[in-house]
Amino acid sequence: MTDTEKLVNRLPNDLGGLPADPIQQTDHELEPWEKRCHALADVLDFHKIINTEEKRCGVEALGSEMVGKLTY
Amino acid sequence: MTRSHDDHDHSHPHAEISDDHPGYYDIMETAVRELLVAKKLIGADEIRRQIEVLDSRTPALGARVVARAWTDPAFKARLLANGRAGCEELGISFYDDTQLIVIENTDKVHNLIVCTLCSCYPRPVLGLPPDWYKAKPYRARAVVEPRKVLAEFGTIIPDDVDVRVHDSTAMVRYLVLPRRPEGTEQYDEEQLAALVTRDTMIGVVPVGAPASVDVVRTAP
Repeated sequence: MTDTEKLVNRLPNDLGGLPADPIQQTDHELEPWEKRCHALADVLDFHKIINTEEKRCGVEALGSEMVGKLTY
Repeated sequence: MTRSHDDHDHSHPHAEISDDHPGYYDIMETAVRELLVAKKLIGADEIRRQIEVLDSRTPALGARVVARAWTDPAFKARLLANGRAGCEELGISFYDDTQLIVIENTDKVHNLIVCTLCSCYPRPVLGLPPDWYKAKPYRARAVVEPRKVLAEFGTIIPDDVDVRVHDSTAMVRYLVLPRRPEGTEQYDEEQLAALVTRDTMIGVVPVGAPASVDVVRTAP
């Protein structure tokens, strides 16, 4: 391995293969505003304002701490 | 905000009529939505209508697809060739521009779906994903130790059965076509669909035999 390879870091949401805890089979009914956020993102997609990949990048840009702490 | 109950003599919580102030992100969503409407980028009624669409998408739709595939070999062949077109045949519209690949469980292969990068999921046919599907443990581990993950759902896959994990993307989603349980030869499509749950179409559990399903359905 060269030194430069060590510069390649995972982006915050790239979780595949990392060690992690046992699965907790949790679920919750979305809050009304959470559901509106889903719908808003869909509507923005219909209007070609943002696409799915841009949504994913947007979530990634929040960083792992925010993603871990906020509801989704 | 906590309400005083001193003035009346019941003790149930008032969460359902809470007068809590809306949260920061609640207000942010409202602000962004109102700005988008004011600037005529989206219509005032579009969010409400899309919420209706989201509410109409439940695993019952996927269960219909599975039951039809179990009873109609020609449909199954079309579904496996093009998952989206197969679902659309049953009147299930795709409100997004994703493709759907349906993968069949057999006595040789067990399939499991995941999204390691976020929470991509076949929403048009299953609705929104459960929290555990979006959480780190499932996303991190499903691709490297799927048999252990399955065991945590109570699913033990024999060593001579391959486990294949399908990592979803923004454009390509997967749906597992589970195995039809034995003892259902006389079932019609509706009875079969009633056996098929969300988790069987994610691939974390098999479809239960009719007897065990009856037990579950009569539980309180």
